Amino acid sequence: MSLLIRQARVLDTQQNLDKVLDVYIADGKIAAMGDKLQQDAQHTLNAEGKLLVPGLTDLLGYLRQPGNAQKGTIESETKAAASAGFTTILPSPDTQPATDTTAVMELVQDRAEAAGFCDVACVAALTQGLESKHLSNIVGLSKAGAIAFSNAGRDITSNTILMRSYEYAATFGAKIFIQAQDAALANGHMHEGALATRLGLNGIPVIAETLSISRHLQFIEHTGVSAHFQQISSDKGVELIRDAKARGLDITADVDLAHLCYTEEQIQGYASQYHVQPPLRSEADRQALLAGVADGTLDAIVSAHQPHEAAAKCAPFADTAPGMAMYDTFMPLLLSLEGKADLTLSQLIDAVTTGATEAANLESPIIEEGAPAYLCLIDPDMQWQLNQDTQQSLGANQSLIDSTLTGRTVLTLRGGVVTWIN
Amino acid sequence: MTLSPSAQLQLTESGELRHFLTVDGLPRPLLERIIDTANSFVVVGNQEVKKVPLLRGKTVVNLFFENSTRTRSTFELAAKRLSADVLNLDIKTSATSKGESLLDTLRNLRAMHSDMFVVRHSQSGAPHFIAEQVTPNVAIINAGDGRHAHPTQAMLDMLTIHRHKGAFDQLKVAIVGDILHSRVARDQVHALATLGCKDIRLIGPNTLLPAEAASLGVTVYTDMDMGLEEVDVIIMLRLQTERMDSAFLPSASEYYQVYGLNRQRLAKAKPDAIVMHPGPINRGIEIESEVADGSQSLILDQVGYGIAIRMAVMSMAMSGQMQERQAAEVI
Repeated sequence: MSLLIRQARVLDTQQNLDKVLDVYIADGKIAAMGDKLQQDAQHTLNAEGKLLVPGLTDLLGYLRQPGNAQKGTIESETKAAASAGFTTILPSPDTQPATDTTAVMELVQDRAEAAGFCDVACVAALTQGLESKHLSNIVGLSKAGAIAFSNAGRDITSNTILMRSYEYAATFGAKIFIQAQDAALANGHMHEGALATRLGLNGIPVIAETLSISRHLQFIEHTGVSAHFQQISSDKGVELIRDAKARGLDITADVDLAHLCYTEEQIQGYASQYHVQPPLRSEADRQALLAGVADGTLDAIVSAHQPHEAAAKCAPFADTAPGMAMYDTFMPLLLSLEGKADLTLSQLIDAVTTGATEAANLESPIIEEGAPAYLCLIDPDMQWQLNQDTQQSLGANQSLIDSTLTGRTVLTLRGGVVTWIN
Repeated sequence: MTLSPSAQLQLTESGELRHFLTVDGLPRPLLERIIDTANSFVVVGNQEVKKVPLLRGKTVVNLFFENSTRTRSTFELAAKRLSADVLNLDIKTSATSKGESLLDTLRNLRAMHSDMFVVRHSQSGAPHFIAEQVTPNVAIINAGDGRHAHPTQAMLDMLTIHRHKGAFDQLKVAIVGDILHSRVARDQVHALATLGCKDIRLIGPNTLLPAEAASLGVTVYTDMDMGLEEVDVIIMLRLQTERMDSAFLPSASEYYQVYGLNRQRLAKAKPDAIVMHPGPINRGIEIESEVADGSQSLILDQVGYGIAIRMAVMSMAMSGQMQERQAAEVI
């Protein structure tokens, strides 16, 4: 197949490229780039006013298989990811069974490859069964393709086990992904503050996050392990990461998109769609997170896409499952952040492309002649309806279902293959 | 004026009560009407024939997911005095069947054409959830949810204050004890503020005060003697003994030493101050027996007012539901 994309604004932050260009794709590669290309393509796309960026990378998405196919399948959720423009996903190891053996990893990779929508780079479980007792086979899993290790949302409460797991990972240069929340203090359902008091819901104080970040930083410094923090949710959390980076620690960090867009206020009336972990916090926290992306303290923006079946959200608030389906709304929500806390479009795109790949030590898709065509074409002005017919994820927990959204990914290419077109 | 989400859920388009889930967000005239209506029902309790026919032919289901014989009995009595048919269901929630079983239970009950559910649940927001799932046509009365709200208890306290102290504007009211876990305290604060009370005080140690308590429009005191200075009303809260197990407090005796209401402390308040407690009281933990049984105590009066308040709220919510049903038929 050959395709000529005409007059797109090509934005690739790793090479400071921001220019209106024609891009010619043939044989799975970017065959030519320039102004007014004359190539004779099978398909020509007028992309005036549209944005062409490298295929997006998601450092945290829940694909639900194995174990929870009622919430989503690898096929359905990688398809939904492709519809947002993602070409690479790092699924959470929080599967059933946990992704702690090469067998589970291969299952995930094989299913994803068979579906054909996204590359999957596996983050394996740091401890067996995510139970924080025995280390996973870090060397064996690395050889089988694991690019990082994470204990997902499970806090390793034993300092001994935490220290040894980091020492062992550091021995073999394995990267650690951390979702820093103190298990005991995070035993609640929303941000601790005035609204939690009003609604009578158990609050999760900011210190649940800051205490845990500080603790992990101590072990990172002590063991020399390379680490990436996920889903920072608070002003003070951003500050701790900023200080640690300034001290020269080998760390990176991300924030999930929901925390950049929403605050605890969404929970008024016990809206269980907004029950997430870590919890949505205050407006001041949200502003600090936006500023953290703007100044590079937060390297990446992740989806933290967590599809659920309808019943998981249909109960009194505290009994509902945390998590939000994000892929269907990802692009319009991301674009809506332009100008917030002085964030530029280029910074936002960087956080889902190069910022993300560099944090995970992955090769970045690049828009240059000869490179494999991992591309995402975005129409920033398109108005569209998100409803049951247009949504791609199986998740029934969409925050903006039945509303009109602005901005949409119109084409995703993975190695020259169309994985999404609209 | 835009209504809060919970107010929208509780009121009909014309502003009548159709559910009673929390006092938070309800307008002052409505609270005053609840008090006035309840005042008229206080008399019914004193008559030889204690029944009025306002809920005749209606079915009220007491849906208690958490045990509370006292609260359930007062609701049952209130419904019977309104001539309703009453069904009591005690449903224990099990960890394995939460969520779905609640929804299934509701679907079954809806099929029985009940008119009103009185709901008690250990999760904050459960009656809210039920109101959203079951409407239209079934009135939901919150009989206490998690640590969120217990609006009939709060309103019976308002009735008590109103009958003994009159207008709320000039009153100083102190609420003492385990505010953090108290669904009653939250609704009391909302009710007092809405009814015009300008000096509301919460008294307790930091471990038993909710986050940003002052955001409720109150002054927070950790020193009980200071907090009781010149108050007109003292509301003591019940202390659950399990609080000692999770390090909220060291011991019942230390709690009594610092936050127990004894005669010396009561003397800090105005001489004609009234003492209230939602019951059942822990003598020698929250309150000295001499105070609980003393002339300033209204603890037993509150029980009687509780039936009147529940009659008022049930009849008002049913009338709101009937208006909605009739409006739906006209369309």
